[in-house]
This record gives sequence, C-alpha cells and structure tokens, in this order.
Amino acid sequence: MSNIVVTGLGIISALGMGADDTYARLLEGRSGIGKMTYLKSKHTDLPVGEVPFSDEELRENLFIRKDASITRTSLLGAAALREALASASLLPRDKSLKMALISGTTVGGMEKSEQYYYDFLHTREKDEYIALHDCGACTDMIGQANPYGFEMMTTISTACSSAANAIILGANMLKLNRADIVVVGGTECLSKFHLDGFNSLMILDHEPCRPFDKNRNGLNLGEGAAYLVMEREETARQRGIDPLCQLSGYGNRCDAFHQTASSPDGEGAYLSMMEALATAGLQPSDIDYINAHGTGTPNNDESEGHAMMRVFGDAMPPVSSTKSYTGHTTSASGGVEAAICILALIRGFIPANLNFSEKIDSLNFTPVTEVKQGVELNHVLTNSFGFGGNDSSCIFSKIS
Amino acid sequence: MEEPVIPDSTFMQSQEPDYKPFISPMEARRMGTLVKRALATSTDALRKGGCEMPDAIISGTGLGCVEHTEKFLNALIDNDEECLPPTSFMQSTHNTISSQIALRLKCHGYNSTYSHRGTSFDSALFDAFMQLSLGKIGTALVGAHDEMTPDYFLMLSKLGYWKSNFYMLEQLRKGEEEGSISGSCSLSMLLSAQKQENTLCELKDMSLFYCPGILQSKHAINEILLRNNLSIKNIDAVVMGLSGDLDNDDVYHELKEHIFQDIPVLWYKQLFGESFGASSFGVYVGAECLRAGRIPEHLFFNPKEAETFQKEPKNILVYNHFHDRDHSIVLLTK
Repeated sequence: MSNIVVTGLGIISALGMGADDTYARLLEGRSGIGKMTYLKSKHTDLPVGEVPFSDEELRENLFIRKDASITRTSLLGAAALREALASASLLPRDKSLKMALISGTTVGGMEKSEQYYYDFLHTREKDEYIALHDCGACTDMIGQANPYGFEMMTTISTACSSAANAIILGANMLKLNRADIVVVGGTECLSKFHLDGFNSLMILDHEPCRPFDKNRNGLNLGEGAAYLVMEREETARQRGIDPLCQLSGYGNRCDAFHQTASSPDGEGAYLSMMEALATAGLQPSDIDYINAHGTGTPNNDESEGHAMMRVFGDAMPPVSSTKSYTGHTTSASGGVEAAICILALIRGFIPANLNFSEKIDSLNFTPVTEVKQGVELNHVLTNSFGFGGNDSSCIFSKIS
Repeated sequence: MEEPVIPDSTFMQSQEPDYKPFISPMEARRMGTLVKRALATSTDALRKGGCEMPDAIISGTGLGCVEHTEKFLNALIDNDEECLPPTSFMQSTHNTISSQIALRLKCHGYNSTYSHRGTSFDSALFDAFMQLSLGKIGTALVGAHDEMTPDYFLMLSKLGYWKSNFYMLEQLRKGEEEGSISGSCSLSMLLSAQKQENTLCELKDMSLFYCPGILQSKHAINEILLRNNLSIKNIDAVVMGLSGDLDNDDVYHELKEHIFQDIPVLWYKQLFGESFGASSFGVYVGAECLRAGRIPEHLFFNPKEAETFQKEPKNILVYNHFHDRDHSIVLLTK
C-alpha cells in the first residue's frame, strides 16, 4: 500500500499567521499567550492564546466583504486552508483528482451565537447567523474559501482530538482510494461559552500554563486553525510535488473512564500511542520527539505522563508541550500540533516546553525547556486527548 | 414497518420508551434526554446483535446535546458569566453521546463523532464502513442522535425549515411549498464483518460527495454500481429523503426523472419527520425491507408504484442530500 504523505500545511494561532511566523516564534521562545483582546468576556484576568488579528483583519486578508456573514471559527479555518492549499500547489488544481475536506470543530459558530442569541429568539436581525451556528456549517464555509472546490466534506467533533481524528479519517480514505487528496485538520475560535465552561470545571490557570510542572494549575485556552494536505505518495510524485514527510502511523482509542477526567494510568492514551506505533511498524525507541497533549492541568499531565512511561519506560524521548506557546486550541490542537511536529521534523528542531521549573514527582522525565536546533528527527509522535476520553495519536516520519 | 404512526404536528416529539430495561433510574435522573435515548437504542442494538463489546463506537449528531447547550448558554447570559453549571457544559459537547456509550461499556475501542448537518450519520457510517473494509475492526456500533428543543425549532423556523401549519400526508407528498415537519431521532445499528443469523442486510458500498449536478450524481451512482458488478436494472427500490419541502424534494424528483425512471421510490420522512439525523431512518427502512423480503405499501412515495411491485427486494439504494450540498448514496443488498 502506498505511503500517506503530507504535501502542504497551513497554520494560524497565537503565534501568528503561517508556518514561517510559527517557526520563528518557536525558535525565539516567545509565547503567544497573553491578555484577552478580542473576546468580550468579563473574565479578562484569564490568560488566553488569541490569534493576533481581529475579524476585520482576517476578512481583509481573505478578501471577504465586510458585510458578509461569517463566523470567526470559519475565518481562522479559511486562513489556514488557503495557506495549506497554496503550499501544496492546489491553487489551481487538477479537477480530475478527488479532494476531500475533513475539519474538526466543536465551538462552531457559538462565538457569534452567544452574542446574537437574543436576536435569534426575538428578532429577525441575525437570521443568517442561525444557519452558521452548527459545526457542519463552519466547515462548509471554510470549504468555500477554496475557489477550486472539494468533492466531499465532513466535520468531526470529538472535542480536543477532533483535528487528529480528521487526520485519521483522511488517511483511511486515501488507503481505500475514496479520495486522491485530503485536507485534514481543525479550527476553533475563543468563545465565552467554552471559556466559561472550562472555568466552571476549575481547570483554567490564571497564570500562563505550566505543562508537566509539579505546581501546574490548569490550562490556558487558545484559538487557531491548521490543515495538512495529505495524499498517496504516487499522487504527489505524479503532481511533481516533493512531500514534506509521511504519516506513518495513527491510533484512536477511548479512555472510557470519566466524562472530563483522564484515568490515572492513562489507559486510553497508552492504547492510542501503542496503536500508532503498531500501525507505523515502529518501536518506542524509534520515536525522536513527543509533542504531548500537555495541557497543564493537574489531571492530564500526570495521566499522560504515566501513559508515556508505560509505552517508553526509562527510555523517554524528548517531550514538550507547545500549548505553553499557543494555549489549548481545543478542536484545532490536533492540527496545530501536527503542523508544529512536521515543521520540527523538516527543519530539525525540538520546540521548548515553557514555564517549567519542577518535575512531577510520579513521572520519570522532565520536558525540554529550551529549543534545540540542528537535531536529526526521523519519527515524531503527537498526542491529542479530548473530553469524553477521546484519545488520538499520530506519528509523522521523514520519507524513507 | 407494520403500523406506521401518522404525524399530527409540525413539531413531533419522540415516543419515550420505558428506560428501565436499559438504564438504572439513578443514572437516568442525571442524564439529558438525548444521551438517555442514545444509551437505550445502543444497548438494544448490541443485545439484538449479540455483541457485548463493539470494536468501534461512532455517532453522528447535527446539533449535539441542544438541551444542555441551551441550559449553559442561558445561564451564561442570565448570570453574566458567573456561577455556571459545569454538568451542563460537560454534557453539551457533541462527543458526549459516543463517550457515554463507551463509558458504560468500558469500551476502549475506536470512538468518534461526526457533526455535519444532514450527513452526520452518513459520515459516521462511512467511517465504520471504511474501517471494516480495511480490516481494522470487526464490529461497529453506529448511531444517529439528534434532538429538537422549542427554542431551536423556533430558530430554524425563521430559516424556513418547517411548515407553518400541520400538513396532511397528501400535501406533504405534493411538496409544493417550503418546510417540512420536525422530528428527532435516536437510531443505533450494529455493523459486523461477519454475517449472522439476525443480520438484516449487507452494507455493500457507499459514497459521500459535495455539490454535484445531476450529471455528477449519475456518475457517482454508476461508479458504485460498477464497483459492485451491478447495473441500475438490478436496483429494486431507491429510498429518498423526500420531506415535503419544495427545494429538498426538487432534487429527488430530478434524480427520479433522469436516473431512477423505472425504479420505485420509497420515502420515510413522512413517518419520522425531518432532523439532521433523519437519513439514518432511510438506511433503517432499506435494511428492514431487505430483511423482511417485502416493502410495506405505505413506504412507496407513489401509490401506483406500490400496486405494481410484486418481487422480493434484493438491492436497495438509499439516497440522501442536505440542501443539495452534501449528498450520500448507500447500497444495501440482501
């Protein structure tokens, strides 16, 4: 069976717009987490990883009319999509190839719906936004940012593992020849709904988050979008494209422990990492870097840490959580972090895990605290673990 | 199938079953309606299929748990973002359904949720179908779960989703104006790589596509048929998501006129109403007819086609579309 290769990517997050800006910030060691600017929540004391562009600026960048109805989630998604398509030479594209868009989101249009809810129920002022509220509508709008269209679209909504699951579905579609090219990832913008939701669960840190630190206190929410372009290797060669890397393995498992908390021994996480390794035909010792889910919550980091120890034992590869840079971009995180992993792989660096000072007692590793450049990475693992125990892992590898 | 319930309002509510055979009263008290229904239908499907632990649990839900979303949103607005109920937030995320099913079963297998309006279920089914075809799994529990609240019904009525007055069956059939009748759904089905005694039919093939014209639809149908060594002549019936809404039904009428001229059309939304998960009832109806070896008269869209239909159905196509954007075809065989 043909290798699944990545031929393009697009990313937008608190680190800025595009792969180059993202890379520069990661090298600089400068986090994108800071004070709330665009979201109109009263909880301005909560640090967030906002994309540093207003809706107006995002529209201008995409040549979208000022009066067009579009949600921030779709604006972010469209920005990342455009970059991904351009980088994979798909603007224009060969229309004889079947292309699918698989996007993950959970917030959807809620950031607008929560503002317009009174109108939704009592006036006729914001009717067009009613139609943009749900997840599928967001994906459709993002897909429309591609002037050359898609032959198929769908939306995955598994909270923080949505984008990772989009990558997995896309890979299966390629393996079964149900698509020639898949654009996979996710998008999520900040909203009062989920900011307040996470706050009510008391898992937000009022300071910048400290993944894997003994005194960590919770996560910072972020927003962003990222898409990968994937195809079978032979399609890429036929198109004359040099792949960036390959998707060598993936796993999706359910923790089945609790609606929001992860099990102490990280069973779901352990199983998803093991499945990714098995499908890649790799041993734990082959992994050169783990981009952990690492939200900074007391529960996740301990649980994920234990799961990693069950897989890697005493030979833990370098680990870092880039959520210390972007915040937790929830449904987009699987895509944002996959994009970062791919940049790490092809540009030979390991991003740092910021704000770390003391190791968690029960874990046998400390994360990478300063960016490492000039490293040879062959296989990189990324984890995305969502509420409801939806645990997914992907492995990206240099082309063999 | 035998005694269809005739709708009597534009906002139909599901008939709640006795939940005791499926959920303990203590558990039920803490659950929202959508999750309760999903647990009941999934438990039922697993029991009937003789499966204790599926390899995968995949759900489709267009709107997720609206009840809990509204609770949390209203509290957020009324209390100006203070003192909010965490339980409502936890249960509002779309993947709650698949997660709760897995939680009860302690199922560590593949777990996913699709939320893509009218093809949410179709996407979930497609995921399961692909993994079964690739040999990654042996069984999959696939479901469609959607609920409708009075507030969301009101919002969608502003977009022309519903008939303004209740329509009798014959007026629905004519489909001369916008709007349909609202229903909700919770349907769970067990897929298996192995045929069993109680198997209803085979899910032979399926495909999803976006914004096709009539020519591309024809091409997609031919592609599926060719891949399975069939021709249009082998199709005994086509199940369509006709709902009484003018724009929705026009697409199906065009398909009938250009592709399915000699194939009888079956419909089901006159029984189940319209919801983002309704396409699952199309697959259910097709599967049931294949299992029973006959098609009940009331499922024929055109009564004349019912009169002349004598045979035992062997191959049924199920065609679904959402606002002529996302389309799906499912091929079911005996």
